Amino acid sequence: MNELKHVLRLTLIEKKDVAIAIFFGFIAGAASVALMGSSGYLISKAALTSHMTTLVVMAACLKLFGFISALSRYGERLYSHRATFTMLSHLRVSFFDRLAPLAPGIFGKYRSGDLLSRIVGDVESLQNFLLRVFYPPVVLGIVFLSTIFFSSFFSMGIAAVMFIGMLLTVIVVPALFSIRKRRTDGQTRAKRGSLAIEATEFLYGFRDLKIHQQLNAKEQQLANDAVQYNESQRKEGLEENLAQSINSMVALLVSFFVLGVGAYFVAAGELNGLYLAMLVMISIAAFENVAPMAAFPAYFEESRKAAVRLEEIVAEPAAPRGTEQLPEGPLDIKLTRASFSYPGEKKAAVDDVSLHLKPGTKTAIVGPSGSGKSTLMQLLLNVFPLDHGQLSIGGMPAEKLQQESIWQKMNVVLQENHFFYGTVRSNLLIADPEASDEKMERALAKVQLELFPLSMAVEEKGQNLSGGQKQRLAIARALLKGKSLWLLDEPVSSVDSLTGQAIYEELFQQGKGDIFVAISHDLAGLEKMDQIIVMENGRIVESGSYQELMERKSHFHQLKQVENSVFA
Amino acid sequence: MNDLKQLAFQRKNIMAFLAAASLLKGIATIGQALFFVFIADRVFLQNAAFESLLPLFGGLFAAILLRVMAGYAIGRAGVNLAADVKNEFRTNLIKSFAENPLLSAAQGQSGQKVSLLMDAVDEVDGFFSKYIPQMIQTYIIPLLLLVVIFTQNWTTGVIILITAPFIPVFMAMVGKGTKKKADEKMEQLNRFSGTFLDILQGLSTLKLFGQAEKQQKAIRKSSLSFRDSTMEVLKSAFLSSLMLEYISMLSIGIVALEIGLRLVVFDSISFFTAFFILILVPDFFNLLKDFGSAFHTARGSVSAAKQLGAELEKKHSPLTWGNEAVAPEPPHLSLEGLSFQYGEGFELAPFNGEIPPYSQVAIVGKSGSGKTTFMHLLAGLLPQSQGHLMINGVPRETVSEKSWFDQLSYISQNPYLFAGTIRENMEIGANRQVNDKEVLAAAEKAGIAEMISTLEQGFETLVGEAGRGLSGGEKQRIALARAFLKKPSLILFDEPTTGLDLRTEQILQASLRELQKTSTVITVAHRLHTIKNADIIFFLENGKLEAAGSHDELLQNYGPYKEMLAVQQGGGVR
Repeated sequence: MNELKHVLRLTLIEKKDVAIAIFFGFIAGAASVALMGSSGYLISKAALTSHMTTLVVMAACLKLFGFISALSRYGERLYSHRATFTMLSHLRVSFFDRLAPLAPGIFGKYRSGDLLSRIVGDVESLQNFLLRVFYPPVVLGIVFLSTIFFSSFFSMGIAAVMFIGMLLTVIVVPALFSIRKRRTDGQTRAKRGSLAIEATEFLYGFRDLKIHQQLNAKEQQLANDAVQYNESQRKEGLEENLAQSINSMVALLVSFFVLGVGAYFVAAGELNGLYLAMLVMISIAAFENVAPMAAFPAYFEESRKAAVRLEEIVAEPAAPRGTEQLPEGPLDIKLTRASFSYPGEKKAAVDDVSLHLKPGTKTAIVGPSGSGKSTLMQLLLNVFPLDHGQLSIGGMPAEKLQQESIWQKMNVVLQENHFFYGTVRSNLLIADPEASDEKMERALAKVQLELFPLSMAVEEKGQNLSGGQKQRLAIARALLKGKSLWLLDEPVSSVDSLTGQAIYEELFQQGKGDIFVAISHDLAGLEKMDQIIVMENGRIVESGSYQELMERKSHFHQLKQVENSVFA
Repeated sequence: MNDLKQLAFQRKNIMAFLAAASLLKGIATIGQALFFVFIADRVFLQNAAFESLLPLFGGLFAAILLRVMAGYAIGRAGVNLAADVKNEFRTNLIKSFAENPLLSAAQGQSGQKVSLLMDAVDEVDGFFSKYIPQMIQTYIIPLLLLVVIFTQNWTTGVIILITAPFIPVFMAMVGKGTKKKADEKMEQLNRFSGTFLDILQGLSTLKLFGQAEKQQKAIRKSSLSFRDSTMEVLKSAFLSSLMLEYISMLSIGIVALEIGLRLVVFDSISFFTAFFILILVPDFFNLLKDFGSAFHTARGSVSAAKQLGAELEKKHSPLTWGNEAVAPEPPHLSLEGLSFQYGEGFELAPFNGEIPPYSQVAIVGKSGSGKTTFMHLLAGLLPQSQGHLMINGVPRETVSEKSWFDQLSYISQNPYLFAGTIRENMEIGANRQVNDKEVLAAAEKAGIAEMISTLEQGFETLVGEAGRGLSGGEKQRIALARAFLKKPSLILFDEPTTGLDLRTEQILQASLRELQKTSTVITVAHRLHTIKNADIIFFLENGKLEAAGSHDELLQNYGPYKEMLAVQQGGGVR
């Protein structure tokens, strides 16, 4: 339960809704117990007398309790769901607050694309916490305790039987099954994982499998994994069915023993026979509500696991960062003998790299994929802490600087730029919340997107834009920010080369005294750069101006030769 | 929904079992009520001694046990039914995927298919594990109860017969309304619920622009809007169950009133009968209500089942093969009106041409001109719609699949590495036992040995899903190593389009020169020297083979080829 403390705290922020839901839940449960109890009592009474009043009272009670129960059930559902969604909102905000300081470094660490959707899935699955984990035992407990309290006026023996039944159905049986669940829970998940991998391999690797005649074996393997996953699910389903059956058996046995103890006391003359039917009906009604407890173990485990996973992600302390601000005016960036390797990898992604970027200079970084260009860019952005070496900006060591103050001075265009659901305008305003429409339109014109109206809709992740359009929009966004350090990671790789060159011209014109660092996917148009850095295997293998490198006839020259012979 | 029901009813044994168990459960329910009332009647009105009740208690206990066991059996059968059906779905899906996923892979649907196999099949579960058992019970038990009620007090039966039909009618009415409302709100709901993911995905961007703090408010606002919209939909759903409760409450009330009248005023029934009916009637209505909520679960399964049905109904045209063995040396290939068409979409016009043994073939053309489809046809990975691919003078359909693929290597731009070690990924090419020396030699020829030696586990390093990521160049070199182990007589090669990885570039050239000595090599060519050195160049445009011939021939006779070279010679444009 410890793991769920944080979730519980967030649930209880909205005390009012939770309290109202519990209140209505109690009334609904109690009213249905009262309904059955009163009908049991009145029918016994009716058997003894022939007064019309009994009949009238009986009909009135049935109606009254019936309507109260149905209405409260409605209120209970309404408020418990409302509270759940409110909790979800708190949960998202609270998680976001804890995740935000860790970004973007954390995304580099978990080099898995589905981290985010996993987070969202785990947060969503916690909505079951209130509805199916926290709430049912609480309401059931209250209804039971008041029923037992009521019964104890008539017979302590019957009250005791009910109390034992309550302990069994609300606590013992769910707890037992929760423990069993925890022991086996990892299996289904693991089997699901391996089935997903097999299916992915089968479909994506189909051609290679077919040619190497492994397709049949792989198909067999896939079918096998599917069966195993299915069997594991079957076991889970059977387990839940077992829990359900045991719970309902306990509930039925309670009414059996209530009847037995009651009959004994009536026969012994210690209990008025008039109340026997009532007490039996009460026990039947009260224990009819225990059905949700059968699903408790599954939801409890699910919530617990989700909470643990979320906690793991945000638990790690953010790397200690400085607090100082960058000075005003032109800044230079200096990287001295920097090395960095991703966690769990032996080989350094960037290995002993030194760079000096002076104001008013333009630098291009080129090299094959996997040579460390983008990682180098992340290091310049001060996203990852260096393993060795030193990064200084404006003469100040980066670790003394506040991270946000570095980014504040930079215009960054990444390989993948995120666009939010909204409009072109709302996406541009992220760069400069005060920008006028005119200013935004000017920025769009500079990247040759003048045909985009500011009110144009942008779908999730900019799905409705082409790769080139997204890149140009990202550049427009950087232009609006208007800072003097430009870090561009293949900013025009999806734009045709003429337009790409024109956009570069535009950028260079606007930022004459600025620093430009651009990773380039091709070698065209690099003549204008002051410095070209050629990377391979995380190291700088060559650097110099276009002229120098071409004359040296080494790496860059060869790359250029190959590129010239390629038909794209 | 009917298709799914059919799937259930095809399993006659399980359905018969469900029916039998439901019957037992119904009998147990009645028996339980009967013994309850017996005992209460004896104790309360007849002042019976406790000992004399013991047989009745025994009966009650037996009824309870029977009820629980029948309930357990029904649940078990439901879980098993669902598992069996899901198994069948998965098996069929896998079979259908195996027949021909190349086309869908080309259309980028592989991810969608994985989710079909995983999630859509899982969503079908509820229909079989919950809805079907509930449906069978609802067919049997209420009927049983009604018969008993009729025999005890026929007026009660009549009241139930009149009021009960309101429940399904009402349910259908309200259900429709709720669905309409949900459909209306769907887009809005999806958008609100997507906001959180959207903002998380954009978190890096927001941080870089210093806007992260403000997003808290956006998350809260969209979450609360989501809550309010959902509540509106839920409200009408809850309202409908409120109405159902009212209807059942109302008819229970009427029944109670009628019993009461007879008991108190007319004295025409006994306490026994009255109590008995009072216990049975709520059971009757509870079953109907349970069926209502199971119906709700089933609806989710139906749309998943539709997706599955659509996938399984897709037509496949599997490749056929024969028994004739292909000699283990470079084959003579002839294209005789070889053409391909897929649905309404892409098509390749009939191709004619000859590829003699040991020749070097270059395929050139713009992207989208059909180069990859052409390669797949040549490799025997796609069925042609017309014409023939003749291998040493016999149609491909008559040669044996095994002997054909034994001769063939395909080195794509992005070869797939399977979850496993580097060594396993290399050996998959050989399809035979190979020793360490051969593996090392192949790795050396492919220029990957050096990189592997820097890895802690060497050839045993795990790659692929959940393994070490490799760059595109490294993957291609492993594919080359596969080819060196396999020693094929026909190589299909997709030349890289980017030219930055110098080392891979040099290795590929040298390796291919070596492989060419023993095999025919067909290349989708992006390099000038590859094209110039080719014996035959196939020039493709818009799915048509526009020209074929050597470099010199095409230069002289075919204008577009010359133009293409001229553009490239202009250089620096890209």
